[in-house]
Amino acid sequence: MSIPIKTTGAEVRLTGLGKRYGQVQAVKPLDLVIEGGTLVTLLGPSGCGKTTLLRMIAGLEQATEGRIFIGGRDVTLLSAGERNVSMVFQSYALFPHMSVLENVAYGLVSSGERKQAAHAKAEAVLETVGLKGFGGRLPSEMSGGQQQRVAVARALVLEPDVLLFDEPLSNLDTRLRRTMREEIRALQQRLGLTVVYVTHDQSEALAVSDKIVVMRNAGIAQAGAPEVLYASPDSVFVATFMGEANHVRGVIESVTGEHCVLALDSARLTLPGRGLPPGPVDAVIRPEAIRIAPPDTPNGLEATVTRATYMGSHTEYYFGTAVGELFAQGADRLRRRQPGEKVRLLLDEEGVVVVRP
Amino acid sequence: MTYRPLALAAAFLLPALPAAAQGQLNLYCSATLEWCQPIARGFERESGIRVNLTQKSTGEMLAQIRSEARNPRGDVWWGGTGDPHVAAGEENLTQPHESARITELHDWAQAQWRQTQGRTVGVYASVLGFGFNTELIARRNLPAPRCWADLLNPAYRGEIQMANPNSSGTAYIIIATLVQMMGEEPAFDYLKQLHGSINAYPRSGTAPITAVARGETALSLSFVHNAAEEAAAGFPVGHAVPCEGTGYEIGSMSIIRGARNLPAAQQFYHWALSAPAQIIASQEAKKLQTMANRGVPLTDGAPNMATARIIDYDNARFGASAERRRLLGRWDREVGALPR
Amino acid sequence: MFFGTSFFFWLIAALGTLVLPWHMQQDGLTLAGLFALGRGEAEAASALSQAAQFGRFWFWPVIAGLLLALPGALPSGDRARRARFLVWGGGLGLAALMLQGLAVGIQGWNWPVLARMFGELEDRQFGIGLGGAMAFAGFLILLTDGLALRGYFKGDRFVSGAVGLLVASILVFTAWPVGTVLSEMFTPRADLTLGAAMAERLFDSKIWGLGCVTGRVNCGVFWNTLLLATCTATAATILGLCFALIVTRSGFRAKKLLRLLTVLPIITPPFVIGLGLILIFGRSGVFNQIAESVFGLELGRWIYGFNGVMLAQVFSFTPIAFLVLIGVVEGVSPAMEEASQTLRASQMRTFRAVTLPLMLPGLANAWLVVFVESLADFGNPIVLGGSFGVLSTEIFFAVVGAQQDFGRAAVLAAIMLVVALTAFVIQRSVVGKRSYVSMTGKGDVGLPTRLPPPVRRVAFAVAIPWAILTVVVYVMALAGAFVRVWGRDWTPTFSHFERAFALEWSPAGALIFSGGAWHSLFTTIQLAAIAAPITAGLGLLASWVLTRQRFAGRTALEFALMLTFAVPGTVIGVAYILTYNLPPLEITGTAVILVACFVFRNLPVGVRSGVAAMSQLDKSLDEAAVTLRASTFRTLRTVVLPLLKPAIVTALVYSFVRAMTTVSAVIFLVSAEYEMATVFIINRVINGDYGLAIAYCAVLIVLMMAAIGLINLLVGRRNLGRRAAALPTPAPVGGRA
Repeated sequence: MSIPIKTTGAEVRLTGLGKRYGQVQAVKPLDLVIEGGTLVTLLGPSGCGKTTLLRMIAGLEQATEGRIFIGGRDVTLLSAGERNVSMVFQSYALFPHMSVLENVAYGLVSSGERKQAAHAKAEAVLETVGLKGFGGRLPSEMSGGQQQRVAVARALVLEPDVLLFDEPLSNLDTRLRRTMREEIRALQQRLGLTVVYVTHDQSEALAVSDKIVVMRNAGIAQAGAPEVLYASPDSVFVATFMGEANHVRGVIESVTGEHCVLALDSARLTLPGRGLPPGPVDAVIRPEAIRIAPPDTPNGLEATVTRATYMGSHTEYYFGTAVGELFAQGADRLRRRQPGEKVRLLLDEEGVVVVRP
Repeated sequence: MTYRPLALAAAFLLPALPAAAQGQLNLYCSATLEWCQPIARGFERESGIRVNLTQKSTGEMLAQIRSEARNPRGDVWWGGTGDPHVAAGEENLTQPHESARITELHDWAQAQWRQTQGRTVGVYASVLGFGFNTELIARRNLPAPRCWADLLNPAYRGEIQMANPNSSGTAYIIIATLVQMMGEEPAFDYLKQLHGSINAYPRSGTAPITAVARGETALSLSFVHNAAEEAAAGFPVGHAVPCEGTGYEIGSMSIIRGARNLPAAQQFYHWALSAPAQIIASQEAKKLQTMANRGVPLTDGAPNMATARIIDYDNARFGASAERRRLLGRWDREVGALPR
Repeated sequence: MFFGTSFFFWLIAALGTLVLPWHMQQDGLTLAGLFALGRGEAEAASALSQAAQFGRFWFWPVIAGLLLALPGALPSGDRARRARFLVWGGGLGLAALMLQGLAVGIQGWNWPVLARMFGELEDRQFGIGLGGAMAFAGFLILLTDGLALRGYFKGDRFVSGAVGLLVASILVFTAWPVGTVLSEMFTPRADLTLGAAMAERLFDSKIWGLGCVTGRVNCGVFWNTLLLATCTATAATILGLCFALIVTRSGFRAKKLLRLLTVLPIITPPFVIGLGLILIFGRSGVFNQIAESVFGLELGRWIYGFNGVMLAQVFSFTPIAFLVLIGVVEGVSPAMEEASQTLRASQMRTFRAVTLPLMLPGLANAWLVVFVESLADFGNPIVLGGSFGVLSTEIFFAVVGAQQDFGRAAVLAAIMLVVALTAFVIQRSVVGKRSYVSMTGKGDVGLPTRLPPPVRRVAFAVAIPWAILTVVVYVMALAGAFVRVWGRDWTPTFSHFERAFALEWSPAGALIFSGGAWHSLFTTIQLAAIAAPITAGLGLLASWVLTRQRFAGRTALEFALMLTFAVPGTVIGVAYILTYNLPPLEITGTAVILVACFVFRNLPVGVRSGVAAMSQLDKSLDEAAVTLRASTFRTLRTVVLPLLKPAIVTALVYSFVRAMTTVSAVIFLVSAEYEMATVFIINRVINGDYGLAIAYCAVLIVLMMAAIGLINLLVGRRNLGRRAAALPTPAPVGGRA
């Protein structure tokens, strides 16, 4: 298939970028580099400033401090149209009074291209997103997924340095969402696009990103590759936001070199120390790191089953322990534990992280 | 009649010649358009001067002249009730002028000219009286009013209209007339008694007679010529000049201070006082006012200022704004505030 | 593109300053007079030539501003440096231009303090003309360009320029005249000190009195006005809603007719309704005569005063409410109603809990518009008021009546302004903050829900009698054009039309418009046609700026935009001649002053209908266009405007029609050369010549309907792909009676 899009996949560099509405700090000054040709997700709960940050990159909001560089060019004071960026809106923002083709060709015509050439190119891009032959329809005559593709095609056709997505899948059903996010990822990798993607859905973020920026309270909580964020979160917030996690309190008994010994009730675990001193500490335990063992197993955590829910492929358990309630998944289909049963929990050191309290 | 051929020749030549050759005149006219237009055209024929006519009611015109005071646009202000002309004179918005024709005028016109130190001269007079709907009073078996005293007849209760003196010059002249005829205390007693018979005090001076014409009220206190005009338009309106005597307003003319075309303005002033200019009122505009020039015959149906008992209206005293404010204040407190 | 660059606007400013004659030319501008360098007479020369040749030193700062702006206007160079030059150059030019205009007038220095400082000036100047106007526009854009380059308004030149244009025009054509007339409030009176005069004007029992509560005395005009405006606004909003619901949400067959009928009162000079009502409900009117002969009831003069004025105002303003509400009702997304119905809500509950609340901002908007209209209405109270006075008539008579008290007029005008602005603030704080965006970029689906039967019955029960009454009033009133003496001699005749619109052929074969009304008719159409697009354009631009842009002073701008609406026509008329009769802007007696008056008096309606429509338009639509490289102007043209067609129609129609039917403001502004139809008509009415007046009105009504049809045709309807409503044939209302 011929790909009609040529992009540079430019680098986006934010230095000290912040936004303030009167007394309210919408985005605290932050530094961030988005490398060319990568997909970076801004992830966080609503109100964390991720959309504002995206809109500042787009040029729809004016930064009150700091600078924005796209492909090395300072675009801080440029208007949205002068930056070579495109955006896909949450509501798609397709022009209801124009046909699909006119919508897709809109940007090209705006940039001064001849109408005929613009339409031909729009036709080609529509084909890329699998909407060949739909050009004559009005947006209202299309399904949600189709509308979404039109919105992507409309943004792509301009061959932007950076493509911005603002929660693009939130209006779609789960299955479509899965398909669409894979399509977006495939498109991004095929075309080498730089993409900034805003979402509040961690699984979406994990699935598509080269790098995830977790935001909280108008600032960056942690940024890094998906595996890094999942495996070694900097805070309980990041840990719990990046998938299921049990949050418990423990004590670091000793530190030797890179490692430390964490005491959780009777259990002792040797973990990466992460520079923390001995003393009370927060620990995060992923559910998949908990194995259920008979009550007489040594070096385990004493626990009682409080709830068990059969899920088909596995069973979800809640345990009462001395360090608090723990959630885990049991794969043992044959031997299902009953509430009230005493067990020992073995903790896989790969799935336990100490974080600064 | 020597001017006729000349005027005709001028009228034919007029379009061919540039307007600047004869000059121009900005005429502010506060009479009705039917009257203003023939006056403007008559002067154009007579002098060859192009007349730019602006027609507005007296009050509006005074407001405009006042706001244009620093940069006057008009040259002559012709027509409309005398009081605003007098007020304009007081505020130094108009300038004195003397025409040789002053002596051709009736006494009341000359008197106004003297009282205003030559700033304003009377060009016509309108007599105050009653208007009544002949059909309506016949249907209700009411007598036609003849005298001021008749109006206090209880049979007229709720049937009389008079304009609000706060807004209408006509109504103010009624109060001033009564004060001059009866003395201030009896006049206000009379107005208080009359208050019970009055169904509304509309804001505009001509509203009561319009209401009479359309059968909305039986009686009004109005200028006689207004009543006659409604009758001429086909409405069942009769009129009367009060037997005890009555007042009048003087339709006036003033030259605006700082007029840009002063010579033309003075020429117009002189012409407007002449009998041929004043005869336009009855011949072309069908107006029933009494004209100021003694040489103009009375129009049929117009009240005769000589035979009607006309009081010697003191323009100097009652035209002054301080006296006006005092009388209106008193009317507000003692009459307007009374329950009905 | 060369046009629209900063340099282009610099050239405009340069042309205005250096080449064209700066002042207005007394005898008009000839082509030869355009080049105004080295003229023999100062007044005909350009600013540069006046400064250099005639020693008019006060032009040097203007020229300095022009030179200072040049480096910034050239397209190359550092952004920040260009911004500095543009801001300082444009700002200096603008400030110098205004200051010299205000400081040096027709009698030398305008301010005594300048004469004391510099000695008497032996020179003078008249109002600015083509050169000055172009320089003003040029400097203004240079300044806003500079601000945009500095990063204000998100760096958007178009927005910056639009805000600059709006602010400048509001300052020049609203704030300045209104300020001038309000300052009259502080003029002392001969017999009283300033303080005493102020106190007397402010605490007048004729304004604040409450006599009507306790006895049979009239209340103060303030209370009269408030009560009248509240009642009228409520009644007109309800009626307007009924009509809007019937037209959009029912299968009523005569919808088109109903739509026409509701528009009719807008295109009628106000006194026609008043006179028609008198003919029906007056003491000798049809209604009363029937009541008297059939029931022996004597109804008397109930039509005069509050009742009649309110009735006439509801007639006059229901169409305005309707025009506002039809957009609102059409804008409610059917999806929301469908959602409600699928949530087990009955039709009635859907209407009450979803449709009505969604329309609430629109309803409040309509209510406010009518409230302020009623406040400023002059024609109806003057015809039907009787003893019942309201602020607008009181102001009129304070200016032109026996009192001739400008100070009192100014106080009353100030009170009226406060009332109108309070209404505005209440509206904003109560409903303004809730935004109901129901037209999103996803494209709406679904059919508009039919009205629940009880609501439909009520709507029809209210609207149909009203529509019939409207027809009767009109037939009665317009009959006057075709009979000899209206209300008296009903012999049919066309003589009134002949007198007004006679045509003759000259011996040479040329057509002569010999009827008395032609001149004013041509002038009126011409000026209304000039004013309408300007009003609509400026109004929609303003509403777009207000709803879509965030900048300091936005609320203040909104307030200022609404200001003229709250000021009654009479005050505006007087304010305009007070302000524009003198240099620097000497436009009294020209067509400019009339067009300006129309534009700025009707602007608020354009703004309001634009704001209402815009708030139902998803903001991300514009943002999408902007990120798609569309310039702001292009976004407006290709995305916003097509989606705003109903609002455009409303603004165009309303401003055209209002320009043709306004009386109170223009009565002070007409001149012999520019006479307006309404003033001509009013003069006929004052003169008792109802026949010709109504004949003229009839012609105006036909003309305006043709214009409305034309506008609708030209602008067209928006196509949103909503599924066309295929409503079933409705059941006849109340059986086939």
